[in-house]
Amino acid sequence: MNTTLIAKKESITTYLKETFNDIGKVTLFASRFFREVIKPPYEIKELIKQCYIIGYKSLPLVTVTGFIMGLVLTLQSRPTLAKFGAESWLPSMVALSLIREIAPVITALICAGKVSSGIGAELGSMKVTEQIDAMEVSAINPFKYLVVTRILATTFMIPLLVIFADGIGVIGGYIGINIHGDVNLYRYLSQVLESITFSDIFPATMKTFFFGFFIGMIGCYKGFNAANGTESVGKAANSAVVTASLSIFIIDMIAVQLTDLFL
Amino acid sequence: MGSLVFPITNKKNKMKKESGYQWKLGMFVIIGLVLFVGTIYFVGKQKNLFGSTFELYSKFNSVSGLEIGNNVRLSGINIGTVDDIDFLNDTLVIVRLVIKDEVRQFIKKDAIASISSDGLMGDKVLVISAGKKSNVIVEDKDQIASKRAIEMDDLMVSVKKSVDNAAVITAELAQFSYNMNNGNGALSKLISDEQFGNSIKGTILNLEKSTTEFKRFTVNMNNGKGALSKLVGDERMGKSVDSSLTNVKTATKGLNEVIEAAKHNFLLRGFFKKKKKEEEKKQEELDNLEEEQMKKELQMDVKNDSIK
Repeated sequence: MNTTLIAKKESITTYLKETFNDIGKVTLFASRFFREVIKPPYEIKELIKQCYIIGYKSLPLVTVTGFIMGLVLTLQSRPTLAKFGAESWLPSMVALSLIREIAPVITALICAGKVSSGIGAELGSMKVTEQIDAMEVSAINPFKYLVVTRILATTFMIPLLVIFADGIGVIGGYIGINIHGDVNLYRYLSQVLESITFSDIFPATMKTFFFGFFIGMIGCYKGFNAANGTESVGKAANSAVVTASLSIFIIDMIAVQLTDLFL
Repeated sequence: MGSLVFPITNKKNKMKKESGYQWKLGMFVIIGLVLFVGTIYFVGKQKNLFGSTFELYSKFNSVSGLEIGNNVRLSGINIGTVDDIDFLNDTLVIVRLVIKDEVRQFIKKDAIASISSDGLMGDKVLVISAGKKSNVIVEDKDQIASKRAIEMDDLMVSVKKSVDNAAVITAELAQFSYNMNNGNGALSKLISDEQFGNSIKGTILNLEKSTTEFKRFTVNMNNGKGALSKLVGDERMGKSVDSSLTNVKTATKGLNEVIEAAKHNFLLRGFFKKKKKEEEKKQEELDNLEEEQMKKELQMDVKNDSIK
């Protein structure tokens, strides 16, 4: 009885220790990123390549999900609004929910799945196959070359992808409205733009930068710190996705609170 | 030779590959930025951040929940937005409006600002009603008059009055219908009492019968040959009645003369004198009685006063 209790206590303390250890490591990792990002030389070429892989290559996925989000949101909200005779509010409602919440979060989650796991697996396998050590030996700073470029790429590409998702989602909403009713595109767009204010756009856009930063950083951290052994590559990829998704929701919650407080 | 050619083709291939993804990335970034900037531009245009505008001020006692960013309308068209709302003193609020410069020519100095609602659940809007008399166009930073907005509370007060009245009316109505169902009045009996109904029915039946009789009677009167019908319808009969009445008139005149003659006849004079005396006596007795009654009443009044 006593021994099991002690074992439990020990397991809890070790778990807490590991968690705090992880958080400390992540903080150090982030501070190293900020230090390295200012210091020359800049790996512009690699950054552009990463932007291409992370941003452009994710575009089809984001476009499809954005379109479906807009379409489905419109079709699902229509019956409720029709009950109140407020179908004319559909464009503004869809646009507001897309721009403020749904497009940023869903796009970030999709990217966490695609990009964060990709980075985790890539860096993890490089670590396992000792390519990172080889880089250090050949006088290339692996942190600058691999981590900084990827984190910067995700930080700037995720907001762009979210803007695309917003645009495509609004078009999806237009098609969704026209399945049941008949709304002119000009009228639809003017209704959408009428309902949107800067206080909708800016907080939503600001938080996507944080989403991007955390997606890149968590992916890189997990990959860069993968243990030796092939299975740890899969582990790194998996835990990168889980942690990044969770962090997206936490950032979203904080962003909502801050937006409420200041706007 | 080979060693010279190889690096060049390699480099070309590399460049091709690089430019292959670089232009795609460039397009992706530019389209994304254009979308973002375009949205910001259009949203800003909606809020009159771009393009030339002018300012108007208006003072209100209450803005009824008007907020910064609400639309300003002239003749139902959005022409600007509410830019600022601030307290002037404890009873006045000043509202700053930003309006498109192109509609300035339509707003005169005597225009009136009022606050109304965009639909039942919609936002508040500030409506500018065009002035009628003035021809002078407003200037930048001018102040225009305002009209008190109809507030929900005012509406509720009048609705409450109507509802109170309705309550009184319905209570009266309930009492009325209760009386109707349970009362003994003629109207309630008319509605609820079967016996009364039957008796009314009988009356109506009798009335019907009597009217048919009356109908027959009038028909007979018009067309019959009896004395009455002749009196009504026959002209000759009328004339003969007329002449007989004239005869009666002359006869009574003659009779009057005969009676007057009789009064002066010594045989009958005594009878007429006696009759006259009796009448005078009766009159005297009546007068005496009245006097006595008056005296009695006076005495009674005096007694009552002394008791008091």
